This record gives sequence, structure tokens and C-alpha cells, in this order.
Amino acid sequence: MALDGLFANLALGLSVAATMQNLLWCLAGAVIGTAVGVLPGVGPVATMALLLPVTYVLPADGALIMLAGIYYGAQYGGSTTAILVNLPGESSSVVTTLDGYQMARQGRAGPALAIAAIGSFFAGCVATVVIAAAAPPLTRLAQQFAPADYFSLMVLGLVFSIVLARGSIIKAFGMVFLGMLLGLVGTDVNTGNLRFTFGISDLFDGLGFVPLAMGIFGIAEIIANLTNPERRDLVSSKVENLWPSREDFRRSRGPILRGTVLGGLLGLLPGGGAVLGSFSAYTLEKKISKTPEKFGTGMIEGVAGPEAANNAAAQTSFIPMLTLGIPSNAVMAMMIGGMMIHGIIPGPQVMEQRPGLFWGMIVSMWFGNLMLIILNLPMIGLWVRLLLVPYRLLAIAVLFFCCIGVYSLNNSANEVLFIGAFGLLGYLLMKLDCEPAPLLLGFLLGPMMEVYMRRAMLLSRGDPWVFVQRPLSLTFLVLAGILVLLVVLPFIRKSRETAFQE
Amino acid sequence: MRRREFLAMAGATAVTGFSIPRVSAQVANWPERPVKLIIPYAPGGGSDLIGRPWAEALSQAFGQQFVVENRGGAGGMIGTEAVAKAQPDGYTLLATPGATLTVLPHLRKAPYDASKFVPCGRTGDFVTGFSINAQVGPKTFAEMVDYAKKNPGKLSYGSAGLATATHLRLEMLKYRAGIDILHVPYRGSADALNDLLPNNVQMMNEINNIPHVKAGKLHLLNINNSTRHWDFPDIPTLTELGHPDSDVPIWYSIQGPPGLPQEIAEKLNAKMLELSKTEGIQKSLRGVSAALQPMTTKEMVAFFDADSKNNAALIKAASIKLE
Repeated sequence: MALDGLFANLALGLSVAATMQNLLWCLAGAVIGTAVGVLPGVGPVATMALLLPVTYVLPADGALIMLAGIYYGAQYGGSTTAILVNLPGESSSVVTTLDGYQMARQGRAGPALAIAAIGSFFAGCVATVVIAAAAPPLTRLAQQFAPADYFSLMVLGLVFSIVLARGSIIKAFGMVFLGMLLGLVGTDVNTGNLRFTFGISDLFDGLGFVPLAMGIFGIAEIIANLTNPERRDLVSSKVENLWPSREDFRRSRGPILRGTVLGGLLGLLPGGGAVLGSFSAYTLEKKISKTPEKFGTGMIEGVAGPEAANNAAAQTSFIPMLTLGIPSNAVMAMMIGGMMIHGIIPGPQVMEQRPGLFWGMIVSMWFGNLMLIILNLPMIGLWVRLLLVPYRLLAIAVLFFCCIGVYSLNNSANEVLFIGAFGLLGYLLMKLDCEPAPLLLGFLLGPMMEVYMRRAMLLSRGDPWVFVQRPLSLTFLVLAGILVLLVVLPFIRKSRETAFQE
Repeated sequence: MRRREFLAMAGATAVTGFSIPRVSAQVANWPERPVKLIIPYAPGGGSDLIGRPWAEALSQAFGQQFVVENRGGAGGMIGTEAVAKAQPDGYTLLATPGATLTVLPHLRKAPYDASKFVPCGRTGDFVTGFSINAQVGPKTFAEMVDYAKKNPGKLSYGSAGLATATHLRLEMLKYRAGIDILHVPYRGSADALNDLLPNNVQMMNEINNIPHVKAGKLHLLNINNSTRHWDFPDIPTLTELGHPDSDVPIWYSIQGPPGLPQEIAEKLNAKMLELSKTEGIQKSLRGVSAALQPMTTKEMVAFFDADSKNNAALIKAASIKLE
């Protein structure tokens, strides 16, 4: 009976998504999304913010189908720049740079891009079915989370990010800490106090994620590249075979499957989403690999797993948004904005009152994924040729798009100055051999952790035992404790250090 | 200093323009080019829900585009400040909730003088009320008050943030009904809803509750509005429940920068009153649980002053502080 319902729902969705008009919007979204993902520094959030006013004139289903297309299209495109120029198009592609860029330096950009696209396609297809089948029950599970559980989950996430970081643990810890400090800037939610704003009104809402990420990852990389330009010539001279070998496929099969499952699950959780998915998939692959020491030197498993995971997570993060009206990340907040503009208040009612819209959007994701792989595989040659563009020209184009992207978020000129400042900071960190990824996670998770902790304490009327009384929260804390213990133990620490030494 | 001089001059021009019966051609022909409507919040928020249908309707009515520009940040102060400093030529207007003008200035040092804005028209009010998670028990307003009195401090209430209209609504309720409910501030109403549905907090007062009331997960206890909600004809208003003057309206309006010629404000106001009678704008607003409260510019000035005074008194009584 449940299965009958599923098919009836998918058939209804098909009838909406397969109209000529909606297919075109889907295509438009997928193409824009890929372009946005490919262009470094122009993320899906900025693009969706830019296009939100445009969707006002479209019918509601067309608008949402296009916006969704931009998002998962960007997941495809984001990996392209991560692999080719070591610039993650967005935070979820950060891990892809680790092995993807190394593959590109060895002249294996083609196979890396192809595996990323294939892994994303597979994960996208699976995630679409998962959304359709599991949206209602999974929503009920995610609804069990109380503030204390979120807090403990984020503690676990941050501990993970420290363990994950390459190089010294002290430096990784320092980076997480610095990130959390940067995250403190802005208005305190509980008291309304302004913290570290120096009277600059652009800082009242805190430092933006986009300027920070663009500066530390994008601008810093450009500076570094321009100081030693020979690094790029080395890459572009050795672009060879475009297609993955049979061996590549064999090695990628497992990581793609595991990444899809892991990403799909983590995408459901508000907060971490695609970022946590790709990070976790990378650690998992490294953990179970027979040659963990080779990760970071161009292992195809390190591309396949995280890429599948971030795409799966990108799509399953629609579940809390569609069924509960709760955004799990900035992009989902944009989707909610898109619905509200059309007078639809997101919530459990959408599935009942606008079934055509709900299921049409889900089915369109499958069409979108199909379009993306058809679009992207033949164009890998084109993306690879991007490497042959002289860097002094590319650098200017990237800087240009970074500035436009940041400016378009809030129409704020100060934020453009911020990316400059963060670019310098990022360059400094690079020179000091400090990984920026833990900083970014600390920046994202730190403030959320604070909010959840204080909220949990407020709701428990000041009783700190709430964190160990809830089974979910206790589980996360125990896991985090075990992880810390493992890292601190001298034996494990030694093997970790050798593992990261490459 | 230079800005103040400029504003004073602009104000003087406006006064002169008002006293001379022959209105300059520039003012009379307004709007001759697209009008920028600044919304001081990020896209997709409540201000968009009410502002965008109006931009659409005004574009059609005047035959000139009313272009919405979202300029968010600092709780709405950045966009509001931008309009305060704009040329008062009628081509930059502000579409804002009351908060930026009648709440924030009582709590923070605002970079603008809220009383100097020129009201052009009210765009609508959100209509909702206190709702409570069905798992708690109480189904009506009286039952909730009774429950709160028997279990002081047991109920928690989620608001969209400190000193938002819905926070003030709670403070007003606590004060009028003499009950103790814990206030938990969130980052926006979607965030609060996240904790309301699993009963981590028990009460809210936002429009995003409405679908869940319809789904039976929440009970709507009352309506914070002068009239009942069209979808819930059985739910009484606060006044009907014996608490007159206890509402804190969530109202939206279009405001001109200081020194905007009164002719332009009147011309816009007349068109807005006319549009308020059309089915199109009424339907768009009903869709987002908002109702029209058409007002002349004169009525708006009085309403603005009263709202600002009420909020200042409430903020003082509840000792709400941001710094």
C-alpha cells in the first residue's frame, strides 16, 4: 500500500516535471548552477539570491525547479574548480581539493572530473528516490533532536574536523578556535549585546560566511599562485587521458556507494549538511583504505567518496526543508524564500495542499541529474582547457567574480573589503602551514554550538545534566570523547602524524 | 555635519514646495522613471512577502517599475539608514516593518531619526496569534492562562529574536494576564518553529505556525488583530478575550526619506488606498496570512506616534535591553 502511494506520487510528479516548460526551467537551473559552481568564488547562495527576484515572475513550480537545479548543479560544478585550480567552488568541495588537485597536477584531471561527475550522478539518483520514499519517516526522526542533541552533535563535528586536519593537531585546534572566535562577531542572540563589531554596522549580523570562505580559500590561493607562477605551468603541460581507466572505476565503486549512504544520512541533519558529508566520507575512505598514507597525493577514492557524499547530502537536505519548512543551510533558506515569494508557507501542509508542486520538484531532480551528466561529461575537455588560460588573466576574472558575488549578497561594499582582508589572512595562514578548513568549520559550527548550548541550558532552567540525560546527546558526547582519547594516545598520535605526512 | 546641513536644506525645500501652490513639474510628474523600493532585510523574509506584491501592483498602477532591492543587516538598520540618506526625490523609498522605526530606536543608537521619515501608506499587517503545542494540553486561551498560573515558569515561548514584535507580544501577555512564561529568543521564526514542533518550547506567535495549526499539531489560542482570521472564524481576538489594547501589531508600510515632498507621499497614498480595494492585492496578502489596514498619511502619523510610545513603554516595563 505504501509502495502504491509512492508510485502514484511519483507519477503525479512526473506529470508536472515532464512538461516542456518545467523541463526548460530545470535545464536552465542545471546550466546556471554548473556555471556558477565552475566559476570560482560565485557560490549557489549568491546566485540564488541574485535570481530570487527573477523567479517572482515564474509559476511557483517552475521557479522552485530552477532554484533546486542551481543548487545541485553547483555541487557538480564546484568540484570542477576544486580539482582544476584548487579553488573549492563552495565549502562542500573543500575535501575534493585534497586529492583531486593532486590528480590534476599529475595530469589526471580528466579521470578525476569524470569520476566526480559519475559519483555525483549516482548519488543524486539514489538521493532522489530516498527523498521520495523516506521523506515523511525521516522527518519524524530529525524532529526528535532537541537543542542539547544539536550541541553534542556539533561538539562531535568539531572534534572530527581537528582529527581530520592535516599536519599538527595543535595548529588544527588553533584554527578551529580562531574560527570560533571569528564566529563570535555580531549580535548575541540571547542578550542582544554587540560583540567585536567596533561600531561597524556591517558587522552587527556577524562576519559573512561567503566573504570569509572566498577570502581564505579563493583570494589566498590566487596570491600564492601569483607569487610562484611556475606551479601552474607544470599542471597545464601534462593534461592527458580524459577518461577514467577500468582500474579507476574499480577503485571508485566502493567509495561512491559508501559516500552516497553517508552523505544521504548527514544531509538530513541541519547545520553540517553537505560539508559534514564530504568530510566524513573522506575520513571513512581513509580509515578503511589499505594505503591511508597515500591520501592527499592524488587517490581517486578521495575524490569519488566525498563527491558522492556532498551531492547526496545536498539533495537529502531538501527533506527537512520540504516536509518541515526548516532550512538546514543557507541554500535551503533561499529555497524557502523562493516558496514564500510565491505565497507558499513551507511546512507539512505543502505535501498535502500542493502535491503537484512537491512531487514535481522531487521528480525534476532526477531529470536535472540526467541533464547534468549529459552536459558535463562531454564538457570535461572544455573545463580542462580552462587550465591553459594564462593565470594572470584567470586571476583577474576570478577576483572580479568574487567581488561581484560578495557584493550581490547584501549590496555591501564593506564585505568586498572583508574578502581582501581575509585573503591576506589566508595567505598568512598558508605561509604558517595552517589548514584553513578547520577554521571554516569552527566558524560555522562554533556560533551554532553556542546558541544551542545556551538554548539547552535556558530550556533546562540552568541544569547542565541535560546534555547527558538525553540518549542522543550522550551518544554524541561519548563518541567525541572516544575520538579525543584516540588522538591523544601517543601510539595513535604517532601513526596519525605519519599518515598525514604523505 | 555636512549631512545634517543637507537634510536641513532638503527639509526646507520640501516646506517651500508645500507652501507654494504651483507644484514643480518634477514633483507633479512623479514617477517619471523606475522607483527603488528598499527592503531592509534579506530576500525571502516577511518584508518580502508583503513588499513584493505591492511593488508589482504599484508598477502596474503607475506604469513605472517599482524595483525591490533587499539591503539586509543590523536588524534592518542598514537598509533603513540607506533610505534616510537618499535623495528625497521620490525615487528611493523604504518598505519596512514597524520594527526599524518604532522599536529599534528605543533600544539602540540608530543611525537615523525615525520620526523624520515621511509615511506614504500602510502595506498590511500579519495576522496570527499565540499558538501552543497540542501535546501540552490547553486548547483555549483561558485554559493556557490557567495552566500557566498552576505551573509557573513551566511554559517556554520561542520568538524570532530579542525585541522583535513577537517578543513584545509575549511581554504584553505576561503583563496583562499576570503569568510567568520563559522567553527563548531564536534567529528568526523558522528556527523557533524547529523547537516548537517537538515541544522543546511550547508556544509561539508567528505566521509560520498557521499550517501546523491546520495540521492539528498546534492549537491557535487567540488572534492578535482587531478582527478575526478569515481561516479561523472561531478563534477570538485578544480584545474579545477581555484584554483590550493588548495587541502589538506586526505592521508594514512604505516610507519616504526625510524631506520627501508631501505631494509625492499623497499621490502614492491615494494610489495605495485605491489598490487596497482591489481583489488582486487582497488575495496576495491573504495568501501569506496578512490583512490590509489602509490609512491616509495623516492617520499614519498618529498611528506611528502611538505605536512608538506603546513600544517604548512596554520595553521599559519589561526591562528589555540590547546593550
